[in-house]
Amino acid sequence: METIKLALRNLSRQKRRTFLLGGAIAFGIMIVTVINGFVGAFIINISENFANLAAGHIFVQGVEKSSSGKELEVIHDDSVLLQAAKEAGIPAKYLTKRSSIDQGTLVFAGKTATLTIDGVDFASETFLPDRLVFEQGGMEGMRDRQGLIISEPIAKRLDVQIGDRVLAQFKTYTGQNNVGEFAIAGITVDPGILGSMAGYANKDYVNELLNLSPTDYQTLGFYLPSLDGMDQYGTALYTKLKAEAQVFDRSTTSQSQNFVRAMMQQGKTETWTGVKYRVYTLNDMLAQVKQIVDVLNKASLVILIVLFLIIVVGIINTFRIIMYERIREIGTMRSIGMQRRDVRNLFLYEATFLALGGVIVGILLALLIMGVVSLVNFGLNSPLFIILKNGHMTFRLTVARTVTDVVIVGLLTLGAAFFPARMAARLDPAVALRTVK
Amino acid sequence: MKRTTLFFILIVSAAALFAAPDFKAVLKQVDDLSDFGKQDYSAVYDIVTEKPGDKPSAMQIKIFRRDQHDQIVILFQKPESQKGQGYLKIDDNVWFYDPESGNYSHSTMKENISNTKAKNSDFKKYTFADDFDVVKSDEGKLGIFDVWILTLQAKNNEVSYQKIRLTIRKDKPIPLKEEDFSVSDRLMRTTYFLPTYVEAAGRLVPAKIKMVDEINKGEQSVLTISDVLVAPLPDKVFTKTFLEQAQ
Repeated sequence: METIKLALRNLSRQKRRTFLLGGAIAFGIMIVTVINGFVGAFIINISENFANLAAGHIFVQGVEKSSSGKELEVIHDDSVLLQAAKEAGIPAKYLTKRSSIDQGTLVFAGKTATLTIDGVDFASETFLPDRLVFEQGGMEGMRDRQGLIISEPIAKRLDVQIGDRVLAQFKTYTGQNNVGEFAIAGITVDPGILGSMAGYANKDYVNELLNLSPTDYQTLGFYLPSLDGMDQYGTALYTKLKAEAQVFDRSTTSQSQNFVRAMMQQGKTETWTGVKYRVYTLNDMLAQVKQIVDVLNKASLVILIVLFLIIVVGIINTFRIIMYERIREIGTMRSIGMQRRDVRNLFLYEATFLALGGVIVGILLALLIMGVVSLVNFGLNSPLFIILKNGHMTFRLTVARTVTDVVIVGLLTLGAAFFPARMAARLDPAVALRTVK
Repeated sequence: MKRTTLFFILIVSAAALFAAPDFKAVLKQVDDLSDFGKQDYSAVYDIVTEKPGDKPSAMQIKIFRRDQHDQIVILFQKPESQKGQGYLKIDDNVWFYDPESGNYSHSTMKENISNTKAKNSDFKKYTFADDFDVVKSDEGKLGIFDVWILTLQAKNNEVSYQKIRLTIRKDKPIPLKEEDFSVSDRLMRTTYFLPTYVEAAGRLVPAKIKMVDEINKGEQSVLTISDVLVAPLPDKVFTKTFLEQAQ
């Protein structure tokens, strides 16, 4: 207990030195904590934003093979899919049944813009209007069967206003050329690079243009209450569906490590009759984004280690100086009965308190920075849209990762202080007392 | 009796003269005119595309065809930035090759050649008789030519256009004009086969073709043919290796 008190007193005696050393530790842990917080929220925000764009967390696509070998995306009868989903216990918050005009070209007064138009059944997808932020017009315009909601960049590019009628050039689900006419019903704020290329129209009109029957659609999406369990439910759906229908293999192939791409490849090489289903999740689609997160995680760990190696060198030097500064004091303490172990522990306690103080201050500073940054509204039309949550940058710290960082910092600091501490402990009291600084 | 026989002969002759021809056969003749059968065919097309507000853009492609096996290679020669790109069709598979990445991507014969109004399928042999039914026929005049105007409806839902209005010369089974309609029955593209021809292995190939985009007003491509050759091509031309080495 006395040693602890002494350690604390020593730290308070050299306020400037303690402040600088502790500050270095605090700075390091602050940087790493902010990076960890950013990376932690990065994948969640991207996943949630993608879930909104892609209309679900788990998806099923139906694919037919035409007599000429062409793949035709269509779901005629979804009873087997819904039954499999029920058996898999998917806790779907919403179901989306969408058809899609892929890479259509909108034409208006000599100007063109490319976008994907999702055919939406607004009567059942009641949550979508809540998510769309309109700059002009709104959902009332969608009462027009040919109504179309586009984003602000597309509207600017075409120079269209609400009520303007635009032509759309695209291919039907069998690949035939077709042209449709849409009335601009709503213009949404720029939802970022991915969202800006998507438009929404009434599914029955999109189906007509795609040459699908009114009850057909192309992709079934399941919105889950949260991102948790997505892969588990996806696998359960795949397993249940495989027992009842033709399903594309979810295993990877040598050509492609990503099985979504592998499934696409299977469609080109295999032949089958009837409808064959592709089952995939948002995580499968974001596999490459997850690789980025892994890289960021590793990078933050490397930053932590590099930062602390620099700090460790500083701590070693400082503690060596401290030892020489206090050499007569150590000699005196040893002469009046302090054991070697106590001298070593004195140094190690100082290092521990330094690390502890630095870590606490660093984490508090990181929390403060994250709190302030998360208050900044980057706006819904920010180019960072995809990594933001409702226009705000968010941070998410995991206990495991934070504890790991703290343990690493603690061990490195103690390791740095250990050698000067051992050197101090091994000093001969008589020699120490004789030493003149 | 003699008068009755003469009258009968006159009636039959008149009926034969005014009766509409077998349009299915006419379509087959149009197809045959573009089919080089067992012979290989190659040609160079210079394509100039005009868009309002833009400078006309020029490109050059070379076509290699082996109609017997329904194989085609389309090699981009100009502009320099696209040189070496190309399409290869073998059976039902169409690949696009990009020398910059060295990668192939799956494509279709319905794709446009770069930013022109021409599609890959415009360079293969016609298959009107196989793909379409004649649902309406009219007579007319286009320039100095008496023509049949045939309305064709696709037999299946995989051909590029659901409906085509084809204007064919009456004297020879040569198309002068092709109007392509969308599934929603809107005119999308008009192709004019200008009546100047290059003769190749006894077949007349239009020397100049104008394709007008009816949706994007003012946009059109003019294709001019040269270096038409009907001669055996090495088998390796219809391989991926050829595309990779062609640059």
